[in-house]
Amino acid sequence: MIEVKNVHKSFGKNEILKGVDLKVEKGDVVVILGPSGSGKTTLLRCINFLEMADQGELLFKGESYHFQHASKKDILNIRKRTAFVFQNYNLFSNKTALENVTEGLIIARKVSKNKAVEIAKECLNKVGLADKYDSYPSQLSGGQQQRVGIARAIAVNPDVILFDEPTSALDPELIGEVLSVMKLLAKEGTTMIVVTHEMSFAEDVASKVVFMDGGVVVEEGTPKEIFCNPKMDRTKQFLRRIIRNYDYSI
Amino acid sequence: MSFNFEFFYQTFFTAFRGLPVTLKLTAFSLLISLPLGFLFAVIRLKERSKVKNLVSVYISFVRGTPIVVQILVIYSLIPSIMASIFKGLDIKMNVFDINPMLYAYIVFSLNTVALLSEVFRSALATVEKGQLEAAQAAGLTTFQGYRRIVIPQAMVAALPNICTVTTNLIKSTSLAFLMTVKDITAVAKVEAAYGYNYIEAYIVIWIIYIIICSLVEILFKLVEKRMKVYKRALVS
Repeated sequence: MIEVKNVHKSFGKNEILKGVDLKVEKGDVVVILGPSGSGKTTLLRCINFLEMADQGELLFKGESYHFQHASKKDILNIRKRTAFVFQNYNLFSNKTALENVTEGLIIARKVSKNKAVEIAKECLNKVGLADKYDSYPSQLSGGQQQRVGIARAIAVNPDVILFDEPTSALDPELIGEVLSVMKLLAKEGTTMIVVTHEMSFAEDVASKVVFMDGGVVVEEGTPKEIFCNPKMDRTKQFLRRIIRNYDYSI
Repeated sequence: MSFNFEFFYQTFFTAFRGLPVTLKLTAFSLLISLPLGFLFAVIRLKERSKVKNLVSVYISFVRGTPIVVQILVIYSLIPSIMASIFKGLDIKMNVFDINPMLYAYIVFSLNTVALLSEVFRSALATVEKGQLEAAQAAGLTTFQGYRRIVIPQAMVAALPNICTVTTNLIKSTSLAFLMTVKDITAVAKVEAAYGYNYIEAYIVIWIIYIIICSLVEILFKLVEKRMKVYKRALVS
């Protein structure tokens, strides 16, 4: 359903992405793993044009776009069909939880206010925040803020949700509540691309695991293939460091 | 020398006749400066062109010269230039008949635009980049993101400084008498000149400005409190 081909992106002289290909089918949960600076986040940000890639092609439901000369209209169009969950939540701090969710519906998608509020309440209930409609982000814990972030993402019924290290800014106790919401979404068949360091999430939920390093995709496959039988040395090395005492047998 | 209370009392009310002029100068200058100052702030943040340099030079110029000098220069320079232009074009119009308020508007607007553009620039910089990105990711256009998310937050950061600029502007308008504009200061000075009651007149002006500026401060505090609702700390 979504495919990116040969994505290149440099910041100044620093080449972050050196020709990345990624393919995502409807209902897939693609987990991107890799060390810091490998370009995972940049790739994700390029997909919905928060970062402008220097080169590459995006196939979105059969329509083709070139990263370097997509028009403003194309970009807006793609953004309306995707949703993004940020590492540091980025909730609109001048809006309540409910308004955070309705904003994209009312302003960007011209949904009527009543309908938007109805949808927003439904989504907030789903992430377990039925009692926090009128709370401002400053009144919510990190885990709650991130769940509002997820509610904001699912409310617009996007074709794909992009998660950029959604649990990295949370303390260990709060990670669980966010991951369980994400697992619920995966079970319902939501298409997701997730950049994370949560190996257990990748193992349990992913339909495909992509390992990136140095701006390229080193290896990709099912969680079983990557975790139990990695082919590339770099992958093995990375997994050894991340998962100490990992038992390769099942 | 004795303090003439009767004069003091009378002048206090007479000087208020200059109030509309002072308020008009302030309000009009703000009305022009708020949008222009914001525009200049955005230019300074976004553009990388010659326009940006031009704006920077203008701001340094205004910040680097005393307002009294700006008043004197503009008040004598513009009429002379216009007079020679009109003469060259053979237009029959006496530029020295132009209402001095016009020059006052120009000087104070020029000043306030520069100050406000710095206020807005620093205020916009206080809003995290992620706020606009989140708005864009939610499908809002950049313009909508600024209008609905970034600017409301920036305004909260800007308000205390806008208040300072406003009170400074009110106080600066007292210099308008140099352009023969009859504001509070000018009226009181004229009254004083009849019987050399300068001390009384100056104290009157002093009190009136304190009253006006305090009212403005209270007004800004109220607005700030309203706009800051979302910043209340963890309560629930």
